[in-house]
Amino acid sequence: MRPLMIVEDSDEDFEVICWALQKTGFAHPVIRSERAEEALSRLFPGMSQLDRIDPLPCLMLLDLNLPGMNGLQMLEELQQMKQKLSTPIVILSTSDNPLDIAACYRFGAAGYIVKPFKLEQYIEKIRDLTRYWFNTITLPEEKCDE
Amino acid sequence: MTITNVDLSSCDREQVHLVGAIQPHGVLLVLAEPELRIVQASTNSADFLDVPCERLVGQCLDGLLGEENTAAIRTQLVKKELANATHLISVPFLSSQNGVVHISGNRINGLLLLEFELSAGTVEMIPAHAYSSRLQDMIQQLYGSAGLLSFLSVVVEQVRILTGFERVMIYRFDRDGSGMVIAEAKETNLEAYLGLHYPASDIPEPARRLFALSPLRHLPDVDYVPVPLFPDQSPLSDGSPVDLSHSFLRSVSVMYTSYLRNMGVKATLVMPLLKSDKLWGLISCMHHSEPKYLAYEQRFPVELLSRMISLRIGDLENLDHYAYRTQLIQAYCQLIGEMGRAKNYHDVLFGSKINLLNGINADGAALLENGKVTLLGITPTAYQVGLLAEWLAQQKDAVLVTHCLSYNFQAAGEFSAVASGLLAIRISRVNLTWVMWFRPEVLSETHWAGDPKKPVIIDDEDQESRLQPRTSFALWKETVRGYSEPWLDCEIEHVRKMRQSLHDILIEQTCQLIRLNTELELSNQALNNFVYAASHDLKEPLRGIHNYAELLRLEEGEHLSGQGHQRIETILCLTERMHHFLEALLEYSHLDYIEQDFQIYSITLLVEEIVDMLKKTNPNESITVDIQPAMPDILCNSTFVKVIFQNLIMNAIKYNAEAVKTIKIGCYTTNGMPVFFVQDNGIGISSEFHEYIFQPFKRLHGHKEYGGGSGVGLALTQKAITQHGGRIWIESGEGKGSTFCFTLTPEHVEEGGE
Repeated sequence: MRPLMIVEDSDEDFEVICWALQKTGFAHPVIRSERAEEALSRLFPGMSQLDRIDPLPCLMLLDLNLPGMNGLQMLEELQQMKQKLSTPIVILSTSDNPLDIAACYRFGAAGYIVKPFKLEQYIEKIRDLTRYWFNTITLPEEKCDE
Repeated sequence: MTITNVDLSSCDREQVHLVGAIQPHGVLLVLAEPELRIVQASTNSADFLDVPCERLVGQCLDGLLGEENTAAIRTQLVKKELANATHLISVPFLSSQNGVVHISGNRINGLLLLEFELSAGTVEMIPAHAYSSRLQDMIQQLYGSAGLLSFLSVVVEQVRILTGFERVMIYRFDRDGSGMVIAEAKETNLEAYLGLHYPASDIPEPARRLFALSPLRHLPDVDYVPVPLFPDQSPLSDGSPVDLSHSFLRSVSVMYTSYLRNMGVKATLVMPLLKSDKLWGLISCMHHSEPKYLAYEQRFPVELLSRMISLRIGDLENLDHYAYRTQLIQAYCQLIGEMGRAKNYHDVLFGSKINLLNGINADGAALLENGKVTLLGITPTAYQVGLLAEWLAQQKDAVLVTHCLSYNFQAAGEFSAVASGLLAIRISRVNLTWVMWFRPEVLSETHWAGDPKKPVIIDDEDQESRLQPRTSFALWKETVRGYSEPWLDCEIEHVRKMRQSLHDILIEQTCQLIRLNTELELSNQALNNFVYAASHDLKEPLRGIHNYAELLRLEEGEHLSGQGHQRIETILCLTERMHHFLEALLEYSHLDYIEQDFQIYSITLLVEEIVDMLKKTNPNESITVDIQPAMPDILCNSTFVKVIFQNLIMNAIKYNAEAVKTIKIGCYTTNGMPVFFVQDNGIGISSEFHEYIFQPFKRLHGHKEYGGGSGVGLALTQKAITQHGGRIWIESGEGKGSTFCFTLTPEHVEEGGE
């Protein structure tokens, strides 16, 4: 099963997402990158010695506020690459700034979730997210990539 | 001329200088240069030169004077410009009369005019030593005098001694051309003219112009028979008579001679007094008992004296007000010094110790700035000063001086008691800034020499009406209204200096304001950026705390005691409240990022939209909203206006304990400006809190009462209103409901008061 990739620097947030995924009965493996740079090199191993993620993630959850390269810059980077990724990227952020939201979609984000403050609302959103991406939508097959 | 079209000011048009005749005490020859051929001669030439005029015309000058004298004159002609009558040579024994002939000349219209005047041997010549001792004596007396008037009283006395005229007076012109006798020396039996006023028509404009042109005018006999020129046809190609403006012998106006006759004068000698090249006054000598001719030698020292006096007038006038001038300079320096130190020049101009009225002889002052009037001392009301300012705005001069304001601006008659005198300076044309000083009316009596309203009479003995000067010079008293003491030159100079300095300060302040404004904008923006970033960054760890507490509650709940559960609940509650705070802070700072897009919107439509939305979000409340149907369309930012009404209506719902919450929204007009209001039947706000409620995060109630707001709603509202230049205020009392009123346009407040 292709994994879900989460780019999130905050351990607490990562833990809460995992907890919420678990609550919804999410079965895919989850891999985490703490920084955008790390995520990029694991998606495109030609750039470093790191191991390539195999198989490639079927969906990526990307935090905007990251140390170093931020989420938006990562989207921009991906868009400029010759080699295009088929993995959809959903932004997960505390920012509800309309400018941020518009910029993300402009750089190819497939969705934008404002992290809610209350845990129960968070679970609700994660449930909606998995239902949409893993039940409603058909994601690309891995062999069709490259 | 018929009675109906007699124009009393016709004297102003009489062309005195173009009368083609001369007085009989000399001979006039008109010559063509360069050959010095005589083209016109006065018909009395035989009396002085032993040659009849018919023989002179056509002749050249050397035929009359001989080659030597003519050569001497030619030398002078080359050297001198002769714009004014200038003495050229004196020639002895020219005629059988056995005296010296003085020849002077002037050039006009391309012609040379030579005037011959006889100095008969009978003229008594004062020995040189006696003359110089008399001169010394005179100079000593003149220098001993302390002020202008005492100086001039010495002058008239000395001129009387020098000339032997029975009356010598100094006549000073006012700004309007009328005049007053300010110094007089006379034979004791003559009636005094000192202190009398004369209307402007007594010395009409053409006469004043001629007086200013020549250093001395002499009329030896008012009953003289004018001597015509021969031939009477003008030598000028256009046929106009030769201009005798600069000629000493020029015949005078019949109006003038009749005027003098009516006054009982037989001979006059008049010298102008000039101050900075402008006619200031006259030294007027009169002889009453008989004609009096003053020969060239006797006139010469008097003429010099009058020129010398002219030079001293300015100095002496200044000397008169020396102490006052010093006082004004001190006041000016103090004011300017103080303004250099103060932040606001307005405070200095109206300070309790140092202010606009320092030093200057004025009872009141006013500043008009951006439509605001500030008053000091005894002044017209703020409203009247406003009217005055409207009138001033139409004047083109930046400095306005009048001591009879109501004669220039009729509406000022209302307040002429306090402001007959006005000195006004314009500081800025853009925002209509004027500084004014006022002087009260001084009721005074003017003594006229005869009725000033009837300066002439109409004599219609013959079929034709003729203008005649008045015959009565009897004292005519008039009470003058609407006049203040006139402003002195030094006062005008003082306010001119003030104007320059205030102008400079204003420019300086504007520059500083622009700089400060830019700095302030930058620092405001930096602060806002900081607030935005900080509240954003604070949200993340707060979420962490909240989520962990929640996880603890959900996962480990069964292991916790009742108290542990309670504490977890408290952590959740507190983090949630802090979250709301941060959200509100973000929203407050976010207002600055909203585009400044101002358009005309219908307030009614905006309000209806918000009310619909609020009713939907509060479905459980029983709310009655009464929206006034025709609220005006206003130039505004719709986002801000929504923020304003949303917060005010939300508060009206929230802070309301009534079963049916009634809200009234409307608009009324004050001073032409729409004032919007949101009124409720809620719990009201005690007046002691009114000044605090618009501060951010200021709350009057506990966190659990009335739905526990963040305390930023009214601060947001006020900020949105301020962005429009408007203001908000509240009318409320505890338990009486609240009415929030606000404007969305900048106000122009008229401030009055002392």
